[in-house]
Amino acid sequence: MRGKKEQPAVKQPLIYELIENVEKVVVGKRREIELSLIAILSGGHVLLEDVPGVGKTMMVRAIARSLGADFKRIQFTPDLLPSDVTGVSVFNQKTMEFHFRPGPVMANIVLADEINRTSPKTQAALLEALEEGSVTTDGETRQLQKPFFVMATQNPIEYGGTYPLPEAQLDRFLFKFRIGYPTKTEEMEVLNRAEKEPPIDSLQPVLALEKLLKMQTDVKNVFAGRQVKEYIISIVNATRQHHAVYLGASPRASIALMKAGQAYAFMQERDYVIPDDIKYLAPFVLQHRLMLNSDAKLSDLTTERIIRDILEQVHVPAGNEQAQ
Amino acid sequence: MKHFQLKSMASITHLLIYILAFLLIWEWLRPVPAVTNTGQIEIFVWFTLASAALIYLRFPFYITMPALFAGSLYGLHLIFMEGPFFSGEGAGTLLRTFAAEFTVNTGMIFDGNFAALTDFFRTFLLFTLLALVCYLLYYWVLYTRRVFFFLICTVAYITILDTFTVVDASQAVIRIVIIGFFILALLHMLNVQDEERAIGRRPGSFISPAWMYTLVTMAGAAVVAGILLPKPEPQWEDPVPFMREFAGIEGSGGARASRIGYGVNDERLGGGFEKEEGTAFLAAADGEKYWRGESKDIYTGHGWTSDPTYVESEQIFGSGIDYRMFEEGAELEEGETSIEMDEAADFELIFYPGQPVNVQNTAADSGGNTISENEIQYYTDAQGGRIQAESGNAQSVRLDSYDLTYEEPVFPMEELRNSSEEDPEDIQEYYLQLPEELPERVTLLAEEIAEDHESRYETAAAVENYFSENDFEYETENVAVPDDGEDYVDQFLFETQEGYCDNFSTSMVVMLRALDIPARWVKGFTAGEEIEELEDGRNLYEIANANAHSWVEVYFPEVGWVPFEPTRGFTNYADFEEPESSDPGIDLGEDTSGEDPNIPEPEGGVDDLLEEGGEQGGTDEDGDEGSAVFTLKNLLISIPLVIGVMILYQKQNRLQNKFFFYRYRLSGKSASFSAAYQRLLWMLANEGIPRAEGETLREYSRRVDLALSSQAMTKLTSSYEKVYYGGRTPADEWEKRKKDWEEIVRLLQA
Repeated sequence: MRGKKEQPAVKQPLIYELIENVEKVVVGKRREIELSLIAILSGGHVLLEDVPGVGKTMMVRAIARSLGADFKRIQFTPDLLPSDVTGVSVFNQKTMEFHFRPGPVMANIVLADEINRTSPKTQAALLEALEEGSVTTDGETRQLQKPFFVMATQNPIEYGGTYPLPEAQLDRFLFKFRIGYPTKTEEMEVLNRAEKEPPIDSLQPVLALEKLLKMQTDVKNVFAGRQVKEYIISIVNATRQHHAVYLGASPRASIALMKAGQAYAFMQERDYVIPDDIKYLAPFVLQHRLMLNSDAKLSDLTTERIIRDILEQVHVPAGNEQAQ
Repeated sequence: MKHFQLKSMASITHLLIYILAFLLIWEWLRPVPAVTNTGQIEIFVWFTLASAALIYLRFPFYITMPALFAGSLYGLHLIFMEGPFFSGEGAGTLLRTFAAEFTVNTGMIFDGNFAALTDFFRTFLLFTLLALVCYLLYYWVLYTRRVFFFLICTVAYITILDTFTVVDASQAVIRIVIIGFFILALLHMLNVQDEERAIGRRPGSFISPAWMYTLVTMAGAAVVAGILLPKPEPQWEDPVPFMREFAGIEGSGGARASRIGYGVNDERLGGGFEKEEGTAFLAAADGEKYWRGESKDIYTGHGWTSDPTYVESEQIFGSGIDYRMFEEGAELEEGETSIEMDEAADFELIFYPGQPVNVQNTAADSGGNTISENEIQYYTDAQGGRIQAESGNAQSVRLDSYDLTYEEPVFPMEELRNSSEEDPEDIQEYYLQLPEELPERVTLLAEEIAEDHESRYETAAAVENYFSENDFEYETENVAVPDDGEDYVDQFLFETQEGYCDNFSTSMVVMLRALDIPARWVKGFTAGEEIEELEDGRNLYEIANANAHSWVEVYFPEVGWVPFEPTRGFTNYADFEEPESSDPGIDLGEDTSGEDPNIPEPEGGVDDLLEEGGEQGGTDEDGDEGSAVFTLKNLLISIPLVIGVMILYQKQNRLQNKFFFYRYRLSGKSASFSAAYQRLLWMLANEGIPRAEGETLREYSRRVDLALSSQAMTKLTSSYEKVYYGGRTPADEWEKRKKDWEEIVRLLQA
């Protein structure tokens, strides 16, 4: 996004410990880890758009292990069926009964790899899970586990035989971001660690799931004042009015921005949201929710660029509006 | 980011700027009636105001256009039509007229026959032009934000009018300067605000108070300084006469300059003056007086003559003179004066104050012998009062020095006011004469002036004051000369409105005569310059050739001939006596010119001429009054004042900061924490570290701390965040953060 920028340090001790733990395995991706944790804390999901091999799976597995959570991975292929995701009822010949075999989505943390490779039907099955926190098979709705966190990935390079996710579905992801290549020193560290036994296997859980659920409740109690809400609305409105934007951010985006802000404030041990939280998170929340018009596409405007411009322009309420 | 930067033209600032621009248009319209024959200018001003309002409110064109059209029709109705507009008949007639005029004039335009366009259509075109100008100004001022060119044009227009026409733009220039200051500054402010918005700092445009105060102070200081500062005379010769001559503007027969001084022939008056140097005579007298030479009573339309037949029939009184000017009503005091003519002067007549009683020759002839009293005979023109000396052999003699006994009148105001109007027949015969060709409008004007005045005295005073009340200009150069068909008075009253004593006095006499008041035109000298106090208590006056003057005498049956002084800038020397219980409501002729603040300052090559008016006369009093503004004292006061304003302006932030520093230090309540923090933001912005539009407080505080190398702002900000975003009530925030707050303010001062 805006390059390496100074971020407020995470102060919440448990979260801090969790991040340290994950970093034993993942090198130099603190921001991405934090964003993932924000998504988990605020009950959202993450869409990663990146080339293979940069450590997406490693990161999400490390998080899952650190939480002691149930982790599943789905590799999406064109022939994958919805039941392969949600689970299927099989006939048990011994008992002469149908028996439900839960699919990979029945886990705490799910990695949905290359989600755009599968058919829209299968995508839809996953997205229902994302939105509702439940899946419906054979006319029966089954609740998913809690916490439930999906990290979906897309490969931005290959488009042949892919089914790009429609905007309506992109909207369901709280964040979209890239992981990106490590720097040289980071990559050296990666090699050093990979030399021996992969460290992931020795990772111990540091945060119990119950505690995580408690935290999710606490996050909802973080205070977002009128000024902050106004700021969110101004930003979202600005995307709707921007001349290069064909479809602006939805009210769902406003909610997502606020919830993410709450989680971020919580991670900093602050019980109120400040505009800095919003400003920091806005690019990750908004960029996959804007559709540019053809002019903008031709003139090389990107959503990142537009959001950056908007954030520079939108007035941050500071209480001295009358004084001037 | 065009979309959330849409310029709002509806802010107070924009409205203010547009109103100022309208005032500029008004300045264009103001002098129009004075230089053209356009009347009822207020209709055009109202129309302009209406168009400006319509255009500013951005009504769609299908409302604006018909409204403006209807407005101009209504204006046309007011100017050209009679009767009510809003009756079907009135509007119908107007529309028919308009259609007819429009057809005819459009035809003429296509034929290139522009000169024949009717007034009606021209007026319509003027309305259209005004509406267009309003629109253009809207565009110039509010969209392109450029007004300097228009301002320059306005100043040029006013200056040219002031220089070449009767328009007096001294007020207008001040107004334009003030308006210009404000428009330019406000436009600049808008531009600055736009730039600030471009870097993302301000939400909208508004008049910032700091800007406004500064602007008012600076504009005020500049104007006051401009008015107070002494204005030296031009260092080069006035180029205007040359330009006028070159351009052939002098329509009435070209400029013709005549000598200043006591002329003989007054048959053709008019034309400019050339200064004549030199002294005419020295006189010892007990006060300032008119030095009367003679009066003339036949007005030819171009000048004055006396009845030639009458000059033949001079009356001879020997050494005694009997020329009665005053009747019993005037209280006469006898006085004596000694006169010594300058060697270069060449007058065949005697000058006297009041009414002469006796002349005693005291001079020697060219041979050095005193001419004996018996050899000299005095001839008096009993009608004009011209006194000539002749020797026994009927040769006219120039008296080099003589003593004169005279009677000086004091005119009781009561007598004047109650004077009857039963003039003796001979008076009526001689002093009511007017040429038959005298234009009607002179008489009409005289009647208009006299309208509300009952008595002869009040009427005369009204005519006397008419010139100063209507901004007639005292001017000695390039005074027009009437053409053969033109009347001298008519030209002065209605066309040029500028001239010197002859213009004023002749006009007054003619107007009085038009009202059947006997009056005559008097030539002579003003009191001159006092050069010495004599031992016998009298003063010695030096009367220069340039003191030659003409004035008016009006006949009152009980009092006699009373002098009046219509010329602007001159004083009537005659004594008027108010009764004890005087009625202050009535103007004394004596005072009128003295109190007139608009009397021109003596300037350049003509001051000698203006000194005709005498030393203690109105001219000088006013000169003092005028120069009282330019005294050293005022200068000494105004310079530190200006410097003070400049320093205040430069140090304003420092002073404000000091003020708030102590204010918040003393108030010291927790409730004021937010206010103090917000004030700090304001102060920082004033000191050149403004918060950008999209900048959060945290980012901003880091930047401020970096700039001031401190930590205080970050600490303050996190406290403020807790209060402002976190919705906490500030408990002891102020106590905790007061130190930080003061630290920043102190760093700002450093």
